[in-house]
Amino acid sequence: MEFEFLVDGALRKVSLDKKDSGFVFREGGAVLDAEIRAVSENTLLILAGGRSHLVRIARAGERTLVALHGREYAVAKPAAEAERFERGDDKAHEGEKQVRTPMPGKVIKLCVSPGEVVRKNQVLVIVEAMKMENEVVAGTPGVVKKIFVAVGELVDPQKILIEIEPRP
Amino acid sequence: MFKKILIANRGEIAVRVIRACREMGISTVAVYSEADRTSLHVQLADEAVPIGPAPAVESYLDMNRIVRAAHDTGAEAIHPGYGFLAENAAFGRLCEKEGLVFIGPNSAALELVGDKVRARQTMEKAGIPIIPGMKSVAQSPRECEAAARSLGYPVIVKASAGGGGKGMRIVADEKGLAPALEAGCREAKSAFGDESVYLEKYIEDPRHVEFQVLADGAGHTVHLFERECSIQRRYQKIVEETPSPALDPELRARMGETAVRVMKAAGYTNAGTVEFLLDKDRKFYFLEVNARLQVEHPVTELVTGLDLVRRQIMIAAGEPLGLNQDDIRQRGHALECRIYAEDPGNRFLPSSGRIVFLKEPQGPGVRCDSGIYGGWEVPVYYDPILAKLIVWAENRESACRRMASALDDYVVLGIHTSIDFLKDVVRHPEFLAGRTTTAFLKTHFEGWGEGGPDEDALRLALAAAAYDEMTRARIPGPSRAGGSAPGIPSPWTTLGGWRNGGTGSHGV
Repeated sequence: MEFEFLVDGALRKVSLDKKDSGFVFREGGAVLDAEIRAVSENTLLILAGGRSHLVRIARAGERTLVALHGREYAVAKPAAEAERFERGDDKAHEGEKQVRTPMPGKVIKLCVSPGEVVRKNQVLVIVEAMKMENEVVAGTPGVVKKIFVAVGELVDPQKILIEIEPRP
Repeated sequence: MFKKILIANRGEIAVRVIRACREMGISTVAVYSEADRTSLHVQLADEAVPIGPAPAVESYLDMNRIVRAAHDTGAEAIHPGYGFLAENAAFGRLCEKEGLVFIGPNSAALELVGDKVRARQTMEKAGIPIIPGMKSVAQSPRECEAAARSLGYPVIVKASAGGGGKGMRIVADEKGLAPALEAGCREAKSAFGDESVYLEKYIEDPRHVEFQVLADGAGHTVHLFERECSIQRRYQKIVEETPSPALDPELRARMGETAVRVMKAAGYTNAGTVEFLLDKDRKFYFLEVNARLQVEHPVTELVTGLDLVRRQIMIAAGEPLGLNQDDIRQRGHALECRIYAEDPGNRFLPSSGRIVFLKEPQGPGVRCDSGIYGGWEVPVYYDPILAKLIVWAENRESACRRMASALDDYVVLGIHTSIDFLKDVVRHPEFLAGRTTTAFLKTHFEGWGEGGPDEDALRLALAAAAYDEMTRARIPGPSRAGGSAPGIPSPWTTLGGWRNGGTGSHGV
């Protein structure tokens, strides 16, 4: 069976097939004979090259998170990722105009008002998350077109906080 | 001894206190906000009382609700943990008035050391070395400007009621002063409910060395040696250890005696910590007293063999200390790493969300003080500390290796944590050499990024992901919609003959 995965933005084409009592894994020229055993919902044992590897695995939304030997890998599927990239591209395009918070939190201060001229990197909003203040800054110089949030409001990265009309 | 104690806190420290109580045969009452219904401390306590909405000011900082919860459940004493009401003298007084024992210092001492400005004045009079700075709370921005000019920049803004870095700001020049004061006041107000701040001369690249002290109600005071807490980011300690690689027996003895004098000058009772800055010339300055159980208390427990929470409870119950200074020895070396819910690869932004899988490390000399469990959703409202990993070994070198290996065994999937960052810290040559100052992270870890993947391990990860896809694809029934991971066939179909629902079963 063939699979396409994305790890850190790189496409990996691999295959995994049953062979005798175990599996054979291929990626390009690399071939690995392995015995794979699922011992619980989140734990796989992969016996390969004379060593048994303890693998922890769990799904978080669209991604599969895999931990082994002290490292964690986020494995995504290209289709799901393409959608995300598409949305991401939209955001990158709009990102300068539409200001968002990078993490969920509470708006504790609005530092600008509508119509105000702002510099690039000027602090627009202060969002408090886990008791630390985080400054949300302007990605572009411009004029504050609209403010969508109020002090005290809980916000997450999906929410547009402020819209800026860019001006060079 | 008390029969029932209420723990006015959440997270790992509430869990720690509940465990101590259990061992002492004391019943426990947990309190929780709406955001903490599923938190671990609520599940471990004998009783749990809801005390209000998610924001801390309406729950964990609401003294009246907490006192009412204590009365309603018949608790005789309140353990405040750290943060929240732990160093709030008004709360200490309220407890006294309401006939509840506050497990912490007496309210007069708490008031004195909690007011950083008055504490400095008292210590100066007692002949304790202090950092140059304002003698009283800042009344106006103009006064601060003048004070900063006479101290010489850089200066540091500190919350008078402060601790844990909240409300602190370094100011490099006059231009930065006004915004730093404003942010400092606001953060202080939200963290401690008191917005007063003051200025101190900023000492560059010091070490942060603190001494643990225990004092009983009969005036008997001892210290339990030092903790070195120099590895800090934004004034948050992230790695602590004891003994400090910077002290020799002579300096250790001198600082220890000074710490005891500080606590006696303050009329302090119960467990507390005297913080010092140690500069490049090995001169030390009194910084402040932390009038609470510290986050990093476990390293002291591991090298002295004394249980600090148990001691706190015994002292609060009026028992004598029963310890002489000569009875207390440092044995071996202990390190602590704080596990925060934050993304070190992305400006350390807080990370909340569901922990989809958790495996905490184990092994000889490994202790994990944790407030989390697999499946739990980390709320956005509180401090990002999730757990603490503490190790003990015969010497510093072995302790560092043990910590590195325990961090490798720590698996938290679903949210970002500081674990990968900590792995690099405890393996850094300068850290291993014991050259740790408060500038360590800034000097060696600015712009830190995770190393590239190990190709062999990554291939195994891909094989695992492929296997997961393959086996998942074979499972009929509800798909991955909704984000919940199936992966295991439903018992309702495989067990056959069982039906879902029916009388007697109810939603959980």
